[in-house]
Amino acid sequence: MIADGAIPIVPRGVRLHQDRARNRWVLLAPEKTIALDQIGYAILSEVDNRSEFGEIVSRLASKYEAPVEQIRPDVAGFINTLAARRILEVI
Amino acid sequence: MAWAKPVLREIDCGMEINMYGPDS
Repeated sequence: MIADGAIPIVPRGVRLHQDRARNRWVLLAPEKTIALDQIGYAILSEVDNRSEFGEIVSRLASKYEAPVEQIRPDVAGFINTLAARRILEVI
Repeated sequence: MAWAKPVLREIDCGMEINMYGPDS
């Protein structure tokens, strides 16, 4: 699990890109391309290299009118999966 | 739109590999 005070960071060289041909967002990283669904894009849209994990979860819970307890493990798993591949960092 | 577990799929050589999501 990720601590509420941890800050997810998009490292240099990683960026969001809109794949207009397939009508979806992708994460472009060195030698990797990751396709996102709408929820994944919504999560990454909240990652501004300043917001703490707890703040991101709270904003998403408000936006989707869903309980924090439901959203937190999904967002943590999502971020951890990307962090394991060095596509995100958590400080 | 309702909340759902997000999906991550790695695109590699034209193939898409599920990294994270309901089916991973």
